Amino acid sequence: MHVVKKIEIIANSFELAKILDSLDKSGVHSHAVIRNVAGKGLRGTTEDLDMTMLDNVYILAFCMPEQLKPVVENIKPLLNKFGGTCYVSDVMEIRSVRCVASM
Amino acid sequence: MDISLIVSNILNPPILFFFLGMTAVFVKSDLEIPAPMPKLFSLYLLFAIGFKGGVELIKSGVTQEVVLTLAAAMMMACVVPIYTFFILKWKLDTYDAAAIAATYGSISAVTFITASAFLTELGIAFDGYMVAALALMESPAIIVGLILVNIFTNDGKREFSWPEVLQEAFLNSSVFLLVGSLLIGVLTGEHGWKVLEPFTQGLFYGVLTFFLLDMGLVAARRIKDLQKTGVFLILFAILIPILNAGIGLAIAKFIGMPRGDSLLFAVLCASASYIAVPAAMRMTVPEANPSLYVSTALAVTFPFNIIVGIPLYLYGINLFWR
Repeated sequence: MHVVKKIEIIANSFELAKILDSLDKSGVHSHAVIRNVAGKGLRGTTEDLDMTMLDNVYILAFCMPEQLKPVVENIKPLLNKFGGTCYVSDVMEIRSVRCVASM
Repeated sequence: MDISLIVSNILNPPILFFFLGMTAVFVKSDLEIPAPMPKLFSLYLLFAIGFKGGVELIKSGVTQEVVLTLAAAMMMACVVPIYTFFILKWKLDTYDAAAIAATYGSISAVTFITASAFLTELGIAFDGYMVAALALMESPAIIVGLILVNIFTNDGKREFSWPEVLQEAFLNSSVFLLVGSLLIGVLTGEHGWKVLEPFTQGLFYGVLTFFLLDMGLVAARRIKDLQKTGVFLILFAILIPILNAGIGLAIAKFIGMPRGDSLLFAVLCASASYIAVPAAMRMTVPEANPSLYVSTALAVTFPFNIIVGIPLYLYGINLFWR
């Protein structure tokens, strides 16, 4: 087990492509996206585009601690411009060294 | 005005279900349409109306009348945001004025579809190429809105990523699907229509009704935002559609459009976008407050148009087309 950074972003689906692109540029190439996220106040703004073609998304990504600085540098301008929130926390990754599937 | 027109419009299942959606919010019912479904309905409606329009367009051919109608549609899409911007500038800052102007310069496909259903109900014919006008009127207002922001902001020329803006204006999902369906309708013609008829015609009114139920829920939720907009914007959201429809009807009369097409043209001029433009404005003018431009379009103009506006514009046509 080793420490990695967990990045959680809640934003509007309209900014999804830009956010994923920024993560990619920062060296974070894997992510999970959960669509149609409902809630209140977690996007850093009271305004929610409650419309038929736009929904809120939850983006989950992990990176090594040394990768975090470029992630913050690339994501921050997007959040400042469009709203949305980003949380970073320390988590433990369990990495299998003898994964049957890869043998 | 003939009240029976409004009554017959209100007593249509799609409009009644719109009211049902609004009522659900007012009485705090837990009625909710699962999130991906309204998106699917919206895409279906664009697909069906685009495809039908393409089939009708190939039937009618590209005549002088078609070219004139499409030119008038493009002109209105460019002109409406300009004068609405100057009306709004009396009370609002440049960003909000430009975003709302762009919203009202663009169109609402669902209002157009509801008007088509209303005409069908009354047995008034209309041409399929009006769908092409619908597609053409969606995007120019976004560009005009951004040009207005560029000209009138005090912080010097703003830097827009124009390729990104143009992509969002002309290739956003609703415009792309609508134009794509229209082209496929043109290519496949009557044969394609027969193949898809059970899907594009048989399901159409059911999906429209269900979609309007959801729109009722969304519009009612947006009503509380109107407290932030103030009386000026609420009045604007009711009066500007009437003004735009009036100008649209005058142009339609001048061109010599038939009654059904004139109503659809007036509805296109009068309606406001609550999908494509808000998304584009959000990307390009984040300084503008979405509470203003989404709420006025969705909670005031959209219900006004589908309940009172459509019969009102038809009443105007009945007066002047004799």
